[in-house]
Amino acid sequence: MTQIKVGDTLPSVSLKYCPYDASLAHACGIPQNLDVSSLKGKKVVIFGVPGAFTPTCNNQHLPEFHQKYDEFVKKGVDQIICLATTDAFVMDAWGKWTQTNDKIILAADGNGEFVTATGLVQDLTKIGFGAIRSKRFALIADDLKVTYIGVETASGVSVSGADAVLAAL
Amino acid sequence: MQQIKVGDTLPTVSLKYCPYDAELKNACGIPQVLSTDSFKGKKVVIFGVPGAFTPTCNNNHLPEYHEKYQDLAKKGVDQVVCISTADAFVMDAWGKWTNVSDKVIMAADGNGDFVKATGLVQDLTKVGMGAVRSKRFAMVVDDMKVVYVGVETQFGVSVSGAGAVLAKL
Repeated sequence: MTQIKVGDTLPSVSLKYCPYDASLAHACGIPQNLDVSSLKGKKVVIFGVPGAFTPTCNNQHLPEFHQKYDEFVKKGVDQIICLATTDAFVMDAWGKWTQTNDKIILAADGNGEFVTATGLVQDLTKIGFGAIRSKRFALIADDLKVTYIGVETASGVSVSGADAVLAAL
Repeated sequence: MQQIKVGDTLPTVSLKYCPYDAELKNACGIPQVLSTDSFKGKKVVIFGVPGAFTPTCNNNHLPEYHEKYQDLAKKGVDQVVCISTADAFVMDAWGKWTNVSDKVIMAADGNGDFVKATGLVQDLTKVGMGAVRSKRFAMVVDDMKVVYVGVETQFGVSVSGAGAVLAKL
């Protein structure tokens, strides 16, 4: 699939997530659907990571979006969604591990439908991560229309980071 | 691939894991290779779970092996290895989350090579968990020869549990 670009509409796929519940310290209950179509009428930031709990994703990419959450809100962002091709239980645990799930929605693209439909999938079999992983990216979608997209082509966080997205808002 | 059975030789597959380090509280460093060849001459229990951090795996299957580790060691078991098709970072985090990594080796079959080679793979696309997941199983391997295999055919932990394995040793 060709990579999604500015002006495109987000694909109608279903992600899964565990709704934030401050009282639930341990494992997620029952994952809920998060339909991309429900983002209609909203301004959302979606950023994708290759792997939950991996160094760059864990220590940099995700925390930055959490730290700068209020700045995003000030610029009209309704939701920040972090996405990976793992399941909702792993994403929920990661959100708790990094203490980010009060503000960031940790969403699971467990079958890789979103990343496949948007051309943001990468094969990481060579490092033991399987064939369906997200690239590192960030996009802004306004009423389901993509208004910014940054996809990393090298290691690290630049165009897919919180600062780059804030600058584009 | 046909399901592995008693009398078969364990296939040579490389898994990944993060060696236990009591000092390292947060994310894993650099995953190391764990080849099944290293089980030669040893008595090893390998149990597979569909998903790290998922309820049954998290609350039942994994903790039982940790609790009964000494009982297993008394019966001559050299290593207890937990496998899933997640990557080493997720497995490492899960081991820390459940406080089992001092005793159970949390191994990653990230590309599904082990579960495919042993016929223990299942497709969980319908629940958003992708096409390459481990069945819930346990096996006892003695000098690379399978002496016990228990594969669950329904929900829950029975023939793949620590109790069932102990009874067979």
